[in-house]
Amino acid sequence: MIAPKLKRTIIAWSLLAPLVVVTLFPFAVMFLTAVKPAQEVLTPSWWPSEFRWRNFYDMWVQAGFGRALFNSLYVSVIATVGAIVISIPAAYAMSRFRFAGHGAFRQFLLVSQMISPIVLVLGLFRLLASFGLVESLNAVGGVYMAFNIAFTVWMLQSYFDTIPRDLEEASWMEGGSRWLTLRKVFLPLCVPAIAVTAIFTFINAWNEFVVALTMLRSQESYTLPIQVFSLVAGRYSVEWHYVMAATLVATVPVAILFVWLQRYLVRGLALGAVK
Amino acid sequence: MHNRALPYLLTLPSLILAAVVIFWPVVDLIQISTHEVSRFGQLRDFSGLDNFAALVADPDFIKALVRTGVWTAAVVGGALLVSIPVAVILNTDFYGRSLARVIVMLPWAVSLTMTAIVWRWALNGESGMLNSALRGLGLADHNIQWLASAATAFPMQIMIGILVTVPFTTTIFLGGLSSIPDDLYEAAALEGAGPVQQFRRITFPLLKPFVNIAIVLNTIYVFNSFPIIWVMTQGGPANSTDILVTHLYKLAFRIGKLGEASAVSLVMLAILLVFTAIYIRLAMRGERA
Repeated sequence: MIAPKLKRTIIAWSLLAPLVVVTLFPFAVMFLTAVKPAQEVLTPSWWPSEFRWRNFYDMWVQAGFGRALFNSLYVSVIATVGAIVISIPAAYAMSRFRFAGHGAFRQFLLVSQMISPIVLVLGLFRLLASFGLVESLNAVGGVYMAFNIAFTVWMLQSYFDTIPRDLEEASWMEGGSRWLTLRKVFLPLCVPAIAVTAIFTFINAWNEFVVALTMLRSQESYTLPIQVFSLVAGRYSVEWHYVMAATLVATVPVAILFVWLQRYLVRGLALGAVK
Repeated sequence: MHNRALPYLLTLPSLILAAVVIFWPVVDLIQISTHEVSRFGQLRDFSGLDNFAALVADPDFIKALVRTGVWTAAVVGGALLVSIPVAVILNTDFYGRSLARVIVMLPWAVSLTMTAIVWRWALNGESGMLNSALRGLGLADHNIQWLASAATAFPMQIMIGILVTVPFTTTIFLGGLSSIPDDLYEAAALEGAGPVQQFRRITFPLLKPFVNIAIVLNTIYVFNSFPIIWVMTQGGPANSTDILVTHLYKLAFRIGKLGEASAVSLVMLAILLVFTAIYIRLAMRGERA
């Protein structure tokens, strides 16, 4: 006789096993290839004969990783700061005011959320080109900003809605102006929500592919996904151990951040979408 | 104190940004698609719906359209079939549940580009680790050239599509499951209902609104999904894994048929708007209930 929880554990894990294997498989491939000595990469063995940690250092130099890392950071920070600064007032208005166009704005956000950059990519390219902004990291940051606005307003509004109005009303009673109340009472309560929303915007921008692929044409302006892609695409011989080392370094920090904060994303989206 | 213009002022910056970056390109695409246009984007004469007619006459477009349907239905359907049981399992109490949750969520945490690059290597015909794993386990006796033909490449891409869609879908269902009160199950168990009956009579009906939302949102995301196919095969070999987004990208930036590319964009936009309208209706219904 085994305890029911133990029995449930065995059943649960054995049912999940296929999915777990398929999920972890690419991570195993990534890690094991990244630490293989160069001459073993193309031999069909799983385990490396020794762990070649130097690959990471060599990759950093060879693959132009530092430059791309900087570009990715730069673009993502622009997108994040811009989207948050623009979204806070909009989300505040949506949460605290009833105004004509409230519903229309909400639907407008929904529709713009559904349109992904790939559908508009030709129009976006022409837009940037007409201002001579192809290759401009700032412009790419601006595009990310625009495509994240719907998400950030949505997330922020759903948090703002949960903050009781009494607190602000009490502050107004004491003679605080709207602006003062906003600064001293409202926004401090929202700092965690703003931080979480900002991090997700950052991750979105960090991972974006098609806009960067289209607008950034020279190596100096490549972001990480494009840089790593360029090591693979259209090359006769690919140095897979460097590619995997680069993917690993580009992926792991963001993945940890994401898994850690994922429940907030769900809470925010659930508050907004499936109320 | 009550300033009537204030809410408009507060929402204005976001409106302007979205209008410039999202709606200006849409207008531009409408213009290009209804004109003759040079390779370099110079607009010439108004040509009505010629570009759309050219699309319909192009077998590559029709094939990509059909393939997009298969791709979207297979990924969304597959993710649904995997996610419902996974969510039900993760909703029960067992040892290592939080670890299991983290593992299931992992594919969501990695960018699609990076996932696709890793799989492109794992599926490599000569030295890919999937082949060596299959041979090591005795499941294959020769190397399979996974990405060399659509017959193996496209199902693999669908599998990866499902894998990266499962976390989001499972998350929606976990939210749904946590809203079902436990006493319903206790009452059902007292009445003698087995687990299968409980699932059919309680879990599934109460989960249905969440299933609808998941289907519509996933359809929109998968329909738009570009990196998996572009990174692994660029729609090849010989356009045999092209879906609308990759076909569009090739028309615009490889072949330089800007008129047809804009027409594809607009067709996709129209399809997306239909999905969005369905989503808004579903979400509104949920809100009223």
